[in-house]
Amino acid sequence: MALMLFARLARLAATLFAVTLITFSMVSLLPGDPVDAILGQTERTPEIEEELRTELKLDEPFVQRYLNWLGDAVQGDLGESYINRGQTVTGEIKNRVPVTGQLALMAIMMAVAVAVPVGILGAYRQGKWQDTTTSAAAQVALSVPNFITGIFLIYVFSVRLGWLPASNWNRITNKGLVENLKTAIMPATALALTQMAIFSRLVRSDMIGTLQQDFILAARAKGLSNRFILFRHALRPSSLSLATIIGINFGALLGGTVVIETLFAVPGLGFRLINAINSRDILMIQGITVFVAAAYVIINALVDILYTFIDPRIRKS
Amino acid sequence: MTRRRTSRLLALPLAFGLLAAACGGSDGDSDGGGDTTPVATEASGGEEPAEEPAEEPAENEDIAEAGTEAEGDVDTEAAEAISAVSYGGDIAVGLEAEAVGLRPWEDTCSSPCYNIIGTIYDKLMEKDSNGQLQPWLAESISSNEDFTSWTMTLRPGVTFHNGVELTAQTIADMFPVQQAGTVSAGVVAASGLVGVEATGDLEVTYTLGAANSAFPAYLERAALGMVFEPAAAVADPDSYSTAPIGTGPFVIDSRDLDNETKVVRNENYWNSDAEGNQLPYLDSIAFRPIPDEGTRLDAVLSGTVDAMQSLRQGTIRDARADGSLSLFEFQGNNVGGGMFNVLKAPFDDVRVRKGLTHLNSQPNVIEALGGTGISLPGSQWFSPDSVWYSEKVAAAWPKFDFEGGVALVSEYVNDPERSDGKAVGEKIDVELSCPPDPTLIAAMQVIEQVWSQTELVNVELTQFDQQTHINRAITDEHNAHCWRFSDDNDPATYTSAFAPPTAEIAAENGLDGIVSPVNFPNYFSAANFGAAAGAVATDDFDERFAAYESIMLDFAENVPLWYSGHTATMIAADPKLDGIVGWHLPQGGDLGIGQQAAEGRWLEVFITS
Repeated sequence: MALMLFARLARLAATLFAVTLITFSMVSLLPGDPVDAILGQTERTPEIEEELRTELKLDEPFVQRYLNWLGDAVQGDLGESYINRGQTVTGEIKNRVPVTGQLALMAIMMAVAVAVPVGILGAYRQGKWQDTTTSAAAQVALSVPNFITGIFLIYVFSVRLGWLPASNWNRITNKGLVENLKTAIMPATALALTQMAIFSRLVRSDMIGTLQQDFILAARAKGLSNRFILFRHALRPSSLSLATIIGINFGALLGGTVVIETLFAVPGLGFRLINAINSRDILMIQGITVFVAAAYVIINALVDILYTFIDPRIRKS
Repeated sequence: MTRRRTSRLLALPLAFGLLAAACGGSDGDSDGGGDTTPVATEASGGEEPAEEPAEEPAENEDIAEAGTEAEGDVDTEAAEAISAVSYGGDIAVGLEAEAVGLRPWEDTCSSPCYNIIGTIYDKLMEKDSNGQLQPWLAESISSNEDFTSWTMTLRPGVTFHNGVELTAQTIADMFPVQQAGTVSAGVVAASGLVGVEATGDLEVTYTLGAANSAFPAYLERAALGMVFEPAAAVADPDSYSTAPIGTGPFVIDSRDLDNETKVVRNENYWNSDAEGNQLPYLDSIAFRPIPDEGTRLDAVLSGTVDAMQSLRQGTIRDARADGSLSLFEFQGNNVGGGMFNVLKAPFDDVRVRKGLTHLNSQPNVIEALGGTGISLPGSQWFSPDSVWYSEKVAAAWPKFDFEGGVALVSEYVNDPERSDGKAVGEKIDVELSCPPDPTLIAAMQVIEQVWSQTELVNVELTQFDQQTHINRAITDEHNAHCWRFSDDNDPATYTSAFAPPTAEIAAENGLDGIVSPVNFPNYFSAANFGAAAGAVATDDFDERFAAYESIMLDFAENVPLWYSGHTATMIAADPKLDGIVGWHLPQGGDLGIGQQAAEGRWLEVFITS
């Protein structure tokens, strides 16, 4: 186990190093000067531009800037925002992660809660109307972009029914769990819909395969109930792919909720990242990207470890 | 305490800047009602309206008279509140973007930001409903003969949120911070300000390096005009961004970036209404950035927020269609369109520029932008309501004329000496670039169709994100480039737009050392630069008008840029909110400018019962 953890950590370090280098290079190649983004359309002189460039060390060579950043980053200092001067990247990540993390977690939980029974039902009733109906629903869910779902939810639950706020975010720390959930439920649902479809398709196909295994036949021969067979014997071996895709998608959601966060004005990582990209806030882009990459790798490492609990054969091997 | 008076903004001052966020002028007259404070500015320089305000409407008149507004104008007049004011209540306001920071000297500030910081800081000057500059934290301001020294007297009895008293020394102490400020340093340089001195307890003397008859206009904007507590700013400039200290009607309560900035009533605010009731009326305001236009409108319609701002014509159209909200619209000098990079062939030839402009169908472009019935076509940097608007320029501007445009471009195409080096008869190449906004793309396609129909132009449409788009203009990579021009400040605040764009051009014209990074079309005319310089050396309105008219006429002749329509802006609110456009100069004086450029002033807003 210790060897595996060490290998994981080594892989994480290598991945993060590659991510930082690639991100730093790509961001530096982006057209657009951070100095212009900071000054906007305000009056300026060439001298003011140069002073600012020097102050931000943008006049230093690329390699030196990267090494300086890397040196600080390994000590936990990801730098300061170029645009929101005085705001640390680390502080922003700390502030935003709970928001995006909650959204991603809620979306995944909602998706799993719906997808697993739907997937099992589809597999158990393969080819019957229950299967075709749920498959068609999944196709629809996959086809509708999540921002369209979001717009629909806002129209129905905010504008027409007035049940939920249309935008922004109530933090649990300020306004309590109920108020928080009122702002979280619609963006989480918009994110969950696609995940539901993916998960249910996956569970269905895995379950169909599992249900054809000999041990399922043996269980049936023993006279066990269908429910017991499905949930006790078939679901567990059919969950490996689901666990994998949950891990991958959870990591992806951490950095990929840009559209939904923007639509609902949710102050999460994605919203911050897109603003940083638009304003050429290089260190903010760099910091958030590295964080998301790290989270992605760590989550998937945890999923790998989870395999051993789901399927004892992996642990033994 | 029911108050109801109506006024219509008649004339506007003034002012413009390239690519300003949408701003607007509205027209109407000042009613001058209430107790007018005896502090009429002595500031000179273009503050006189071109015509006298219209007759004062009768008290308690319900609806503004029509009359002098431009045809198709949809401006909402500044008007007194229609209900009895009441204290208390909390409201939320949806903004189109988050304020980068809350430090006037350090952080760029456009329309959404002004909504927030306008509650925290007071400005030294404000605009009245005629668009004339009037003292706010100042009591008076006057200049010497040659406009190189300005003496301002501050209002007594004003304190900052931390209890520190506002004195002349405060303003003097702000100056070093402003000189070093990322944003304000450029404004200091542009205004010509070289020194600020406390010459009395409440008397401040501004010293300029060169004449500037429009200097007070700088005191009406954030960078130089918003008064902050300098000792606290110097002690901890980073914290000041989230915990600013001003003298304004509201005090910062919390700031959750990209989510909510909450301000609460300043119990010790110095200003009161005409009846002597202390302002502000509301307990608190929560400003929430909601970047998606549709969601922002839905947020008001659903009661998630109580009011919103928008600078998009499509949103104004949708809000009008809904019909359930109070809409306060404004259309000022800011005008959309584009520019040609005149340093690049074939745009270095006026025949091409003028020909392509003749081939720009403004009504169709405005239709594509969703602005029909909302946005007025542009012919200059001033809207028809502005005192700087020139009929002569409007008449001179190249109108849509397909044959005329084809003739001009054709002349260039068939010129053996054509500047792009192509063979005679070969089509010209035009890269037309806009940010990737759906309505802008639709507008570009309208232009592309007409240009392509001539069989003389190869049009390539390109889209880059906003920052790249701006950067391409700054680095002179642009060709035909979507852009916005002008705002509602005094034209003097944008003199550098007429300065030489490169050191070479400066040297050729004997202007060594004068290079402007914000002359984006790279078009330079010594006559224009001279006219702009001359306009700040006099306070004679007619002379100043003639100077700016001559520049606009030159633009109409040499066409370094083209126009679509003026930018319409809007504040939409739940009808239960009142007082949005009815804010006054201090102590219930004349009405202020209203909601220019969707910059809401929340000082006198209240919730009706």
